[in-house]
Amino acid sequence: MIIKILRAVSWKTKLVFALALMTCGLAANAHTGFQGITGPTFNLTVKDGYISTPEGGSIYTWGYAVQGQPMQYPGPTLIVNQGDVVTINLTNEMPFPVSMVFPGQENVSVSGGSPGVMTNQISQGAGAVTYVFTAANPGTYQYHSGTNPALQVEMGMVGALVVRSATPHQAYNHPDSAYSREYMFLFTEMDPVIHELVETGRASLVDFSKYRAAYWFINGRCSPDTMAMPNDSWLPHQPYNAMPRMHPGEKMLLRIISAGRDLHPWHTHGNHMLVIAKDGRLLESAPGAGADLAELNFAVTLPPGGTADAIFQWTGEKLGWDVYGHSPGDPLQPNEYAPDHGKPFPVVLPDPKDTTSGAFYSGSPFLGAYGFIPPGSSLMNLSAGYFYMWHSHKEREMVNNNIFPGGLMTMLIIEPPSVVIE
Amino acid sequence: METKFRKSKSSVLFILVLSVLFVWLDSCNLRPGACPEVAEYYFRADATTQTMPDGKVVPMWGFAQDSEFGKMDGTVSVPGPQIAIQSCTQKVIVHLDNNLPEPTSIVINGLTAQMTPVRYPDGRVRSFTHETPPGNPVSVNYGWQVARPGTYLYQSGTHPAVQVQMGLYGALIQEAGQKLAYPGQEYDKEGLLIFSEIDPVIHDAVAADNFGAGKAVTSAIDYAPQYMLVNGKPFMSTDPVNNAGNVGQHLLVRFLNAGLLTHAPTLYGAHMTVIAEDAHPYNYPKQLSSALLPAGKTLDVLITPAFPGQYAILDRMLHLYGPGKTVMQRYLVNP
Repeated sequence: MIIKILRAVSWKTKLVFALALMTCGLAANAHTGFQGITGPTFNLTVKDGYISTPEGGSIYTWGYAVQGQPMQYPGPTLIVNQGDVVTINLTNEMPFPVSMVFPGQENVSVSGGSPGVMTNQISQGAGAVTYVFTAANPGTYQYHSGTNPALQVEMGMVGALVVRSATPHQAYNHPDSAYSREYMFLFTEMDPVIHELVETGRASLVDFSKYRAAYWFINGRCSPDTMAMPNDSWLPHQPYNAMPRMHPGEKMLLRIISAGRDLHPWHTHGNHMLVIAKDGRLLESAPGAGADLAELNFAVTLPPGGTADAIFQWTGEKLGWDVYGHSPGDPLQPNEYAPDHGKPFPVVLPDPKDTTSGAFYSGSPFLGAYGFIPPGSSLMNLSAGYFYMWHSHKEREMVNNNIFPGGLMTMLIIEPPSVVIE
Repeated sequence: METKFRKSKSSVLFILVLSVLFVWLDSCNLRPGACPEVAEYYFRADATTQTMPDGKVVPMWGFAQDSEFGKMDGTVSVPGPQIAIQSCTQKVIVHLDNNLPEPTSIVINGLTAQMTPVRYPDGRVRSFTHETPPGNPVSVNYGWQVARPGTYLYQSGTHPAVQVQMGLYGALIQEAGQKLAYPGQEYDKEGLLIFSEIDPVIHDAVAADNFGAGKAVTSAIDYAPQYMLVNGKPFMSTDPVNNAGNVGQHLLVRFLNAGLLTHAPTLYGAHMTVIAEDAHPYNYPKQLSSALLPAGKTLDVLITPAFPGQYAILDRMLHLYGPGKTVMQRYLVNP
């Protein structure tokens, strides 16, 4: 019943609720804006369940889970340290064989189960198959099923693997990969027709040549659920959110994972990101050279199976005006873009009687400031931050079964320096 | 100074004589090991069929390599015969014979040639270069200058939306030297993977003259392939595993996409070093586990496994589902 009520409330209400909770500072794990489980030993299983989509949809899904826990979409994010000997014991509660493969990892040894095309797989109730590898190289990776991958990946059997470097807050043991906050953006898509056929025992009718996705996900959620809290009770199979928040001047690490079967150009709307690594390797001209081949992009398109790491910074540089509305004599804010200090806002604001407000407008153009908002407008910007929509640049992927807005989209919030994040 | 001049003159003459001799010798097939400046091939575009793992017999168009024009002693294959020219070769000539019911031609993406497009009466381009009519009594010739070694895709340049997906494509490769993909890029073992697809609806319609304006299938706009091919064949899990040599050796894999879809070859077990794209070597090779291979693209990668075992290359676009529908190649690396 509660779930039904929560589904019925508008996504705007959900977002306000989520932001209010986040601003209160609920989460642990300072600086890490994504969720996962730490190793080096993981006991996983495969089971099914239903994921929810924001327009009220419910999709039959297969997924990896922590043994004894609900099915997860995507599977648990596995967080290990460089050099760890990672052990994954996989059992199976589904009536077909399953497995795990780890693109980017070397020398994965396998025991138990029975041989499959790519690796050993495990049947329902047949004990466990065990995968062991040394996480030799830090970086952002993924795992997925190596058994009937076209169907099993579509049905949800994907997840992220993060190998932490030996140097805290450097993704790749080099200052070029230094960050103060990190978030994950794992992209997938679903064709609900396929899931319905599988759910109703008609998998033999699945025709991938007619594939037509209708849902697009970040970390297993469609927007606006991407911006809700992690581990929300109304999304029991989709525990991970994608709600990047930062202060001006900070370095945010984006761990970007292309885990589906299609291309999703990831667009940091209004801003560039510096892509420093791909597939868990720093973009360097020679070992130790740093990210000297990094690419400054406003959209990064990865092949399925690929990952990228990008550094994102925001100071208000090149806006040409002072984002705090300072007078020239005022003191600087932390990490303020000094050359624009005290420069006036270049627009004469129209009379509020002549305008309507966007949901993320605080009533003032200045960071951390509020102003008059016409009655009836919804204030979804509790901290007077700046919101940037980050999304797939295939614009049609910003829908939930053809309903806009939704899909592969979330918001970046530039928070005023005074706001505590997490 | 004078002596030097004379020397160089005589050496030019010597090279000329030699190369004429080599071309002559080569054309007589007397010296297959000689290094010709010009490499000539007799190709025939012709119809054939291919049987898919589910038993479906698909009409195809492909190229065959004949010993001379009109002899028709070659076997039609999809992809067409691999053109492997030697590092000294500077020009490629294909003498084309056309046994198809419509005009065709051959183009090589990335090699320079004098192109003479053929147009429909209303001005639209039908062929990127001059055509070979069906049943041509004498060969129609196509020539290219080869400026750099690398991996190239050849294909039909006529009505390509139909003819390329019917199977008129293949690979041309030139090494920089013995076991040398590009300057400084040595390898020990070599593999070449041409990705393509088959939509049997279109193939059947073309074979039955049911394709085109006003006919049952009007165009390729509803292209929905049912078969994914590597080197002309769907992958079967019973296919043998390729021998990739030993740990520490360099496996060169040339990826070509002759299909209409994007493919994403992903390596499991190691990273690949992408050394060249469209026959142009990178200044800084890229370390990737998943590569984007759009239609028409060629990529060269080196794989240097550090551990023995089985390595898989999977098309991570995961286009189709079912037996014989996964796109994969497997390599065994010995200790």
